[in-house]
Amino acid sequence: MSKLVGGGPVTAEAMAPVLKALLDRLVEKNVAQEVGAKVIDAVGASLVGASLPTFGSLASTVKAAMAEAFGRVLTSPREAADLLHDVSTARGGKRPYVVVFVGVNGVGKSTSLSKVAYYIKSNGFVPLLCACDTFRSGAVEQLRVHAQALDVPLFQKGYGNDAAQIAADGIAHAQAMGATRRLAMGYDAVLVDTAGRMQDNEPLMRALAKLVHVNSPDLVLFVGEALAGNDAVTGFNASLAQYAGGKAPRLIDGVILTKFDTINDKVGAALNLVYTTGKPVVFVGVGQTYEDIRNLNVEHVVRALTG
Amino acid sequence: MVLADLGSRVAVALRKMAQAPLVDKDVLNEMLTEICKALLQADVNVAQVKHLRESIKKNVDVESLASGMNKRKMLEQAVCNELCSMLDPGKEPYAPKKKQANVIMFVGLQGAGKTTTCTKYAYMHKRKGFKCALVCADTFRAGAFDQLKQNATKAKIPFYGSYTETDPAQIAAEGTAKFREEGYEIIIVDTSGRHMQEAALFEEMQQVSDAVAPDEVIFVMDSSIGQAAHEQASAFKKKVAVGSVIITKLDGHAKGGGALSAVAATGAPITHIGTGEHVEDFEDFEVKSFVSRMLGKGNIAGLAPE
Ligand SMILES: Nc1nc2c(ncn2[C@@H]2O[C@H](COP(=O)(O)OP(=O)(O)OP(=O)(O)O)[C@@H](O)[C@H]2O)c(=O)[nH]1
Ligand SMILES: Nc1nc2c(ncn2[C@@H]2O[C@H](COP(=O)(O)OP(=O)(O)OP(=O)(O)O)[C@@H](O)[C@H]2O)c(=O)[nH]1
Ligand SMILES: [Mg+2]
Ligand SMILES: [Mg+2]
Repeated sequence: MSKLVGGGPVTAEAMAPVLKALLDRLVEKNVAQEVGAKVIDAVGASLVGASLPTFGSLASTVKAAMAEAFGRVLTSPREAADLLHDVSTARGGKRPYVVVFVGVNGVGKSTSLSKVAYYIKSNGFVPLLCACDTFRSGAVEQLRVHAQALDVPLFQKGYGNDAAQIAADGIAHAQAMGATRRLAMGYDAVLVDTAGRMQDNEPLMRALAKLVHVNSPDLVLFVGEALAGNDAVTGFNASLAQYAGGKAPRLIDGVILTKFDTINDKVGAALNLVYTTGKPVVFVGVGQTYEDIRNLNVEHVVRALTG
Repeated sequence: MVLADLGSRVAVALRKMAQAPLVDKDVLNEMLTEICKALLQADVNVAQVKHLRESIKKNVDVESLASGMNKRKMLEQAVCNELCSMLDPGKEPYAPKKKQANVIMFVGLQGAGKTTTCTKYAYMHKRKGFKCALVCADTFRAGAFDQLKQNATKAKIPFYGSYTETDPAQIAAEGTAKFREEGYEIIIVDTSGRHMQEAALFEEMQQVSDAVAPDEVIFVMDSSIGQAAHEQASAFKKKVAVGSVIITKLDGHAKGGGALSAVAATGAPITHIGTGEHVEDFEDFEVKSFVSRMLGKGNIAGLAPE
């Protein structure tokens, strides 16, 4: 497979076994079979007829092309949100910047929210935590612990109430605080925690769509695990579109990829999420403390996938 | 249902084979390729898929088999058997006994569903007549004790925990001692989520285990986990005596295959599955009926081995 075949043009037949082996490797790295197959097929097609460098093996040529393709996928989403810049702009407009965190159960929404709060606060802004998971036991207390540890304000109305309304009240509260205080002392961002839910649970997805459409947040972040094999994100977008309630559908703007510290080189979820959403990975969660939040290191992911 | 996609694709592959005028090596290979692709797309561990393919190839000699219906039946049976053996480690799970204390410790990755499942497990056993109690040995996650407390209160199950103690082993020891003394039969110890990359967390899990000397350790795994499942599950098994597995969130769209790797990795049987967030969303798990359900009972009835 790696023998020197320098010189001649590349044929689809010669490439087939190479591509097959690479796809197997990708699946082991947690790349979804369908996503891996699509990227690899495109790479294969682009190479047919090309002539090999005199001293390269077919395998290394394919690999290089693949690395390039991955890099393209991961960097293609434009406007990788610059959160601080946007918060600052909103502050200039005398309004709080609103972020809603959504995702399936247990992926790390509330933890990521508190990490983002820490990040925002460390950069001189005041985030308000808004407890809109009114379902899961302990969800409100969990946010309260974070609010206390971070010394940031918390807006909550306990359990059982309408999450969309609580978010609206929280945003209005932040707005009022911004108006009454000197500007620099106002609440600059509202971070809205939501209950975990499965993408095919219709009543819960309806409720989430309502929360999003009623409150028109600046940013809807889908929180997904690096551990996950599948990605629920497609279902979330579909539901947000379907239950828009007559308004122009508001979809996911970006992704937070959590538990990146638990997967070693099985980094495929990063590719799956970006490939299926066309949206950027805004943050990567790499642990359970407030500091454990990073930008996606595209080079690292590409290296892990092709290594 | 989870794995339904996988099931129907396997069923289609089997039917396609059944329709071939002549079942030969090529037809068998084509069927295996289809099935393996379906398994991989469902996140089943790559090595396990390879094993399944080789095992069927080894055990079924298509050329020498009698032709016709029997040949197809045998192949269908072989596939079904392999799926069952993938899920069945051939070991009986621990069965809690009445009139004595059974200490059961829950472990698993972050967010897998341990705390939720602890109460579900207690609730199910309470209805079977056991005297159950819950101990919160998660001193790490924000709001962990409130979560367990609220769940336990709703299900009317006694609980033990602390807002101030930071040593999980200490709380676990105190809680289990207290409930032992009070004659509880099933004492469930909830622990923090952890992962193999952080040695200190694994060390802590062992300390809790040493402190309570559990009769059973249950590994809780999220059905949506992908290819990292195998190495994580193996690592847990190496550190503590995992005796059974509970798979959660099977109500979701998860492909489920990754979680199945937990069986191969731990050699421990799956005893229950979680199918929702509510306390009653919890079922016993039985391999044969699961596999035949997965393959769509209607299509290929009676396929599960007797
Ligand atoms: N190792 C690791 N653990 C994480 C990371 N992010 C979150 N967690 C852990 O994952 C678990 C679940 O986190 P939560 O923030 O409660 O998840 P959630 O999505 O809000 O959960 P629900 O609200 O119940 O749906 C907790 O134990 C977190 O500490 C991460 O980046 N790395
Ligand atoms: N849909 C669904 N959600 C579940 C199921 N089991 C647990 N959950 C949800 O998954 C999320 C995480 O559950 P927890 O019980 O907090 O998980 P954990 O393993 O204790 O988490 P850590 O203690 O942070 O490691 C919660 O939102 C639960 O409601 C299930 O079977 N189905
Ligand atoms: Mg949460
Ligand atoms: Mg827990």
